[in-house]
Amino acid sequence: MSADRSRILDLLAGGKITAEEAERLLDALDAHAGAATAASGSAIKGDPEPLIAALPKYLYVKVLAANGDNVDVKIPIVLVRSGLKLTSLIPPLAMDKINDTMAEHGMSVDFNNFKPEDIDELIGGLRDMEVNVDAKNGDTVRVYCA
Amino acid sequence: MNVPPLVLDLRVVRPERRPVRLWLPLFLLWPLALVLGAVALLLTLVADGVLLVLGRRYHHYTVLLVRSFETLGETRGMVIRFSNEKTAVDMTVQ
Repeated sequence: MSADRSRILDLLAGGKITAEEAERLLDALDAHAGAATAASGSAIKGDPEPLIAALPKYLYVKVLAANGDNVDVKIPIVLVRSGLKLTSLIPPLAMDKINDTMAEHGMSVDFNNFKPEDIDELIGGLRDMEVNVDAKNGDTVRVYCA
Repeated sequence: MNVPPLVLDLRVVRPERRPVRLWLPLFLLWPLALVLGAVALLLTLVADGVLLVLGRRYHHYTVLLVRSFETLGETRGMVIRFSNEKTAVDMTVQ
């Protein structure tokens, strides 16, 4: 196993990247190594650092209210992942209360059904996600990862 | 696990007033957090042991505590900015 491949797997094992991200990195590494081999005729080890650096690191939430109030939040993706994983450990009684309260406020998300693999998939999907809301009253909300 | 947050950088800007910038040294709270964490860890271990003996399905308070500390450690790099016509507040966890 190459050192780069091993590093990617270490990042995956350490929870720094998701399984989907690791797969993409490994694919890119293979493609890079294949292209390099074809070009030079020798096996050149690909450096995954630029690929890792290209992964989104932050979740941005930008709210521009028509009345002039602006909120801009930058959240590390690792914090999002860590926080979501924490929900699977919350005691059932407390989780029921959280679900009830959220349902009362119009968000019927059942966190009891959150599984670690769902969280990884959710985080992986954030990469391509962008939410833009333009309200009638002039408020705008933008959520994206970069 | 990342290094826990070291400093909370807080900036408040208001028109016609001197801007305020505060560096709150969160690392000074680490020893206190360590002591409280150790005590809480002991309590959760006992609680989980009792729950396990009683045959309860949920006995993960210790893991919950450890993961909570891990989540706190991941807050580094978080930035919250708020601004309106009168005030601009910028909070960065470093």
